[in-house]
Amino acid sequence: MSIWQRWFNQAQSTLTPHELERLRLLPAAVGLGDQRLTLQRFVVMDQETTGLNTQRDKVLSIGAVVVEHGHIDMSQQFEVNLKREHNVLNPSVLIHGIAPSAAARGTPPPQALLSFMEWSGECVFLAFHAPFDQRMLARALRNQLQITLRHVFLDLAELAPMLFPDADIGRGGLDDWVEHFGLQVLARHSAAADAQVSAELALIVLKKAQQQGITTLAELNQRLHAWRRLQRSKAHA
Amino acid sequence: MTREHAFAEAGRTAVLQNIQGTMDFLRKYPPFAHMQDHSLSYLVERCVLRFYSQGECILKPEDGAVAHFYIVKQGLVRGERQVASENADSTFEISSGECFPLAALLGERATRTQHLAAQDTFCLQLPKAAFVKLFAECNVFRDFALRGVSSLLDQVNQQAQLTAVEHLGGSYSLDTSLADLMARSPVTCSPHTSLQAAVKSMHEQHVGSMLITDNEQRPLGIFTLRDLRRVVADGVTDFEQPINALMTPAPFALPSNASAFDAAMAMTERHIAHIAVVEGQRLVGVLSERDLFSLQRVDLVHLARAIRHAKSLQALQLLRDDIQRLVSSMLAHGASSVQVTHIITQLNDHSVARTIELAMADLGAPDVRFTWLVFGSEGRCEQTLHTDQDNGILFQCATPAEAPALRERLLPLAQRINQDLDTLGFTLCKGNIMASNPELCLSEQQWQQRFARQISSATPENLLGASIYFDLRSVYGPTDGVMRLQQFLLAHVKANTLFQRMLAENALRQRPPLGLFRDFVVAKRGAERHTLDLKVQGLTPFVDAARLLALSHDVANSSTLARFQALVERGVVDSKDAGAYEESYNFIQLTRLQLHQQQSRDGRPLSNRIDPDALNPLDRRILRESFRQAQRLQASVALRYKL
Repeated sequence: MSIWQRWFNQAQSTLTPHELERLRLLPAAVGLGDQRLTLQRFVVMDQETTGLNTQRDKVLSIGAVVVEHGHIDMSQQFEVNLKREHNVLNPSVLIHGIAPSAAARGTPPPQALLSFMEWSGECVFLAFHAPFDQRMLARALRNQLQITLRHVFLDLAELAPMLFPDADIGRGGLDDWVEHFGLQVLARHSAAADAQVSAELALIVLKKAQQQGITTLAELNQRLHAWRRLQRSKAHA
Repeated sequence: MTREHAFAEAGRTAVLQNIQGTMDFLRKYPPFAHMQDHSLSYLVERCVLRFYSQGECILKPEDGAVAHFYIVKQGLVRGERQVASENADSTFEISSGECFPLAALLGERATRTQHLAAQDTFCLQLPKAAFVKLFAECNVFRDFALRGVSSLLDQVNQQAQLTAVEHLGGSYSLDTSLADLMARSPVTCSPHTSLQAAVKSMHEQHVGSMLITDNEQRPLGIFTLRDLRRVVADGVTDFEQPINALMTPAPFALPSNASAFDAAMAMTERHIAHIAVVEGQRLVGVLSERDLFSLQRVDLVHLARAIRHAKSLQALQLLRDDIQRLVSSMLAHGASSVQVTHIITQLNDHSVARTIELAMADLGAPDVRFTWLVFGSEGRCEQTLHTDQDNGILFQCATPAEAPALRERLLPLAQRINQDLDTLGFTLCKGNIMASNPELCLSEQQWQQRFARQISSATPENLLGASIYFDLRSVYGPTDGVMRLQQFLLAHVKANTLFQRMLAENALRQRPPLGLFRDFVVAKRGAERHTLDLKVQGLTPFVDAARLLALSHDVANSSTLARFQALVERGVVDSKDAGAYEESYNFIQLTRLQLHQQQSRDGRPLSNRIDPDALNPLDRRILRESFRQAQRLQASVALRYKL
């Protein structure tokens, strides 16, 4: 038995048969087709991690808020701390504020991730600096549940400057946008509160997209591609 | 497992932070502040959060019966309603923590108001079904929904009085009706009762006054211990003569639903110690000064009398401290700003009159018929404790040639009075608007010439002068000359539309401190950082507009509120509008008085600058609405004069 297989069996063994069945029933991902922006279910997520290295660091908590039918449904909130037994105390604790003891009390990662994917359902993910969240989540799902993350991620850090060039924030961070729109953050660097404020930013961004005549996911994606090309040519000029 | 189930499971690991956070946000505002946790979380969990970009319509009449209850989480919503009678829109604003549309939701109908996002706005939207459930189960929420903003005003008053009562103790209110204050039925007799029998009855019943009534209990006269003293001093020996020959006829009467405040005011004004209390024409009781004092610490009448009889400037000076205490006590007992400024003005008038008398006793009375004039806030009867002198002298002379000589005789006295007033705490006017200034010690004719000049050549200086001198009245001396001067002023302003226009431009100069994006516009730097000026920015727009409209429409009153009343009677201002202006004006003034009280308690210099963030959310909201009324008033002036 290879080291990988042994590890695979170990991981699978932490799931009950019922949980394995739930894992099998997880909905398929949706693509960027002609779904209307006003109807599409978006899950705006944020993760707190042990660090910024997507190869090594681990997810500590996930917070997520649903944007659907053009509004945030306050009844659909997701918030979970992942159980991390041997979490080494490192400087990131100063940012996310999750103490090793709190991490040790969390939900076991396989169950937490299964619940999250189940809860998210057929959605498009939105996040600020989405590629980071996408990689962290993909690695966690691969390691813990041996599944491949196929969901589409849209990056608010791209959509916002694309739709609000006049804000002149460019590659600025979430805090810059929060300040620009005067949003109120309940607790910065808590996954749930960051997801909430990202979702409020998403409402603003999606409203702006509609006002510019962008009605479907595919159109939004096209605009993004065109914008990225423009950014690249600007960078080379 | 369903999504809800997964959600519930996730929810166990941490009580949803965003729900909690939203509840904490709402708790800063009524009625949410007073709702129980389970009701509030029920509300938040059933909300959705929506975003509206600036200019977007949130809710309009065409949408049909209202299906949601909205709470503004961030931003500003403007309600616009087309008023049939006027072409102007009637608008109002709704900001963070406020809700709409209550009336339409309760009436199960469409809204009559178009709600627009005045800036980028987030609203929490609660479905009607959840609103109905909350309405049924939460009393606080129901009260709020049914009574709307008026319940907020009640809360402000309750709050103000509560703090006040805590501060001073006591349970007496100036609003107590006379019916509640009268302890027993009045002691009366018929007009034919003998003096001896009447005094015997007063003695036996331990009362200081006897009311003389006819067969139908209508008061004909009053006989008091003071009258008895006079009778004895006059050497009357016939104790069998009928009382009606010795009584004071037609005693002053108030209806039984009048307030303690009314009674105190009447006693101060008239220097009387007894008031007949009537229902219809029938006498039901007598209220004595002592009845008022036994219940209150507000010894207004006593204070007024003490001022009028002060033997020296030093004695007067000591009494000024009592005025401060009185004002504190009045605010504490829930007096309105109108009542308080009225009292301050009255006591100041007494102080000024007594100062003049004392100065004349010392220097000798000049052999000139003169009237002491006051201008500005004193002229408008709107003084607070924070006040300086604005005064002048009007005298009578037979011929213009005589005037300089008479002035020379009056000026030393005027100088002395100005100095004495300064000693009393009425600081000398920096602009030298004082009677000791030879330019302001004028004959009636010279005053008329001066006013005519001010109106015909509208220089900025003259316009500024108009805002001071044209709010005038007399405090001491004969009043006929002042009344003629006022009529002269009105006739001249009415005839000069150019001057009216300049006054109108002037009235728009001070803009209420409201911005588009932030609640209040405050000073950005310096010692005045984060503050706004309640007087200059808040009250001045009302005062200037009222002066303009009054002078242009033959209204001789000098107080801002009286001017609005008179303008309503003349059909110049709509009565509802005037009501809103008065309420707003009063609220700003009250806020200012409370600020001054706080400052003097803290031993700080009095200032009109307030940090709006230091107010509680309710007061802040009403203050903002008050400033909005000032904006409306200015808009109507701009429309009227096509500016």
